[in-house]
Amino acid sequence: MRWISNDAIGRLRRVADAPDFSGTRYRVIGELARGGMGVVYEAEDTALGRHVALKVLASELTGGSERLADHGDRMRREAQIVARLEHPGIVPVHDVGVLPDGRLYYAMKLVRGTRLDAWAHERPRTEVLLAFVRVCEAVAFANANGVVHGDLKPDNVMVGEFGEVLVMDWGVARRADEDAGVIAGTRGFMAPEQERGEAVDARADVFALGAMLAALTDNRPRPLAAIATKATARERSDRYASARELAADVLRFVEQEPLVAYRENVVERTSRWLGKHRALVALILAYLVMRALVLFIKGF
Amino acid sequence: MSIPFPTTRRSIIVALSSSDADVRERAFDTLVALYWKPLYKYARIAWRRSREDAEDLAQSFFARAFEKETLAAYDAKQAGFRTFLRLLFDRYASNEHKAEQRLKRGGGSVHLDFDAAEAELGRDEECRSETPEQFFQREWVRSVFALAVERLRAASEANDFALFEAYDLEDDRSISYRELAARFGIAETTVTNRLAATRRRFRAIVLETLREVTATDHEFRLEARALLGVDAS
Amino acid sequence: MNKVLLGLLVGAVLGVIDGATAWFTPAVRNDMLGIIIGSTVKGMLAGVLAGWFARRVHSVVAGVVFGLVVGLLFAFGVAAMGGGLYYFEIMLPGGVTGAIIGWATQRYGRAPQRSGIPATAL
Repeated sequence: MRWISNDAIGRLRRVADAPDFSGTRYRVIGELARGGMGVVYEAEDTALGRHVALKVLASELTGGSERLADHGDRMRREAQIVARLEHPGIVPVHDVGVLPDGRLYYAMKLVRGTRLDAWAHERPRTEVLLAFVRVCEAVAFANANGVVHGDLKPDNVMVGEFGEVLVMDWGVARRADEDAGVIAGTRGFMAPEQERGEAVDARADVFALGAMLAALTDNRPRPLAAIATKATARERSDRYASARELAADVLRFVEQEPLVAYRENVVERTSRWLGKHRALVALILAYLVMRALVLFIKGF
Repeated sequence: MSIPFPTTRRSIIVALSSSDADVRERAFDTLVALYWKPLYKYARIAWRRSREDAEDLAQSFFARAFEKETLAAYDAKQAGFRTFLRLLFDRYASNEHKAEQRLKRGGGSVHLDFDAAEAELGRDEECRSETPEQFFQREWVRSVFALAVERLRAASEANDFALFEAYDLEDDRSISYRELAARFGIAETTVTNRLAATRRRFRAIVLETLREVTATDHEFRLEARALLGVDAS
Repeated sequence: MNKVLLGLLVGAVLGVIDGATAWFTPAVRNDMLGIIIGSTVKGMLAGVLAGWFARRVHSVVAGVVFGLVVGLLFAFGVAAMGGGLYYFEIMLPGGVTGAIIGWATQRYGRAPQRSGIPATAL
């Protein structure tokens, strides 16, 4: 028998796990990313002559898949719902289907950009927070249309060339009014009720957004930490009722206004007010200094 | 949903307890082909046995398993077959069997190429940094792929297999489709098409082999994860 | 409130306060009423100009600089009319008052709409 080197094992693993696209309109060009849920490929849509990102869900082999197969129809239906979400912050799903080997795939717009967490690294906090607000707005839009993302995390948000924010992976989203989801989210970003397999609503996304906010910012001042804490409250009734409300509080933080999530003391309120009106404070001080100067000169 | 892949081969684990001696024997041959190297290397590395000792153990273990049909005692509800076999081997090796008894039993029933196994051990630099289980699993993965590659060789046109061998098995990764096209005197698109088809066939063979060496759907899935290196989450 | 009206009001209020500070200069205490009226009118004029500027240029820095320059110019005029005795005393605070008005008109007050679409739809 032939010697199979460790490197060769790695390659054969990929060959053995590679999805079979024969008979579909897609021609795989290369692998883009690999995660627990499946693998994302860059592919050419030969029917339309454009490049797409193809996400192939974990195979029949690699677990979780029995259930996937059972829920194929339902997932397709959900993908259809998501495909109707038209928002600049939502990566559109073009197509969904089943490969000859039984694996479910969906095609979405190929986004060239940087993952939000990598993008946020060493960027000014305000810029990161404003990007986060745009993520919230996209999620709020979907939520308002009855779709819960269910797996929001920094990996699932791309920042494009022009700083535009794109929320990806809507293919696993579900209708808010449906029962417990087929597919679990990501631990650490998943709301407790979602982890327990209960029905989820927009507040599960609020939880994930709160966890994302915490992941994207470090050395958080207390008010910002309070926003993340409120968003990730164990009881969903304690969270912001919607992503829009969360975004509004983050914006208030950016604009140095009083927050819903945080009751400040007199010192904090004063320093926030002074910080917010720096220019005015400086001008008034300048005026007083001028006046004092004039009096002082006069005095002699 | 359709059944994702055809299963033409029956599970050898089931066949091991067949009442038909021929069926049993064929199943046993496949079992030995798949497991002897991992077990031998496991004895050498994890148990630090001498070469003679490890050869002896492997040979007599299979001979005894065949004679006494100890493998028929496997209960799929309790553990995966791979783990069952390893634990059985552990127990066998730790029992104070007399060397002569083993030699007597082992004589002549299975012929194994221990020189090749030794050479492989010499080529693998990674093998000393793992736990015994990890080591055994990796050698099992290697063995499954090696078996599948041999089956692919038997099932493919020589040229197609040579393409696959050059592109996916050789460790020299600098080779391109263009160079392959030149080497085999065919068009580049032919290279990619043939390679894609051969890889598809390989995938089917791997699944089939895996199906063959596992007893239940559940075990099949677990072993697939191990084989493909997908971490259980 | 639109920016011109806002500038007018802020200018008036600051003008009154600025004028009232003349009380600290005992030599001119007898002319307080005239000073306050002059200072208020000066502030209102600067406010209208700053408000007009803020409608056109949206920049806090530019607004502050514009207010400063206008404030200095008016203060110069007032000081000259007052006999040229108090250039420093009038121009320094007058300039800063102008800058504050400039800042306020940039920061607050409703900008004119550029199209027929109501602001709430944007």
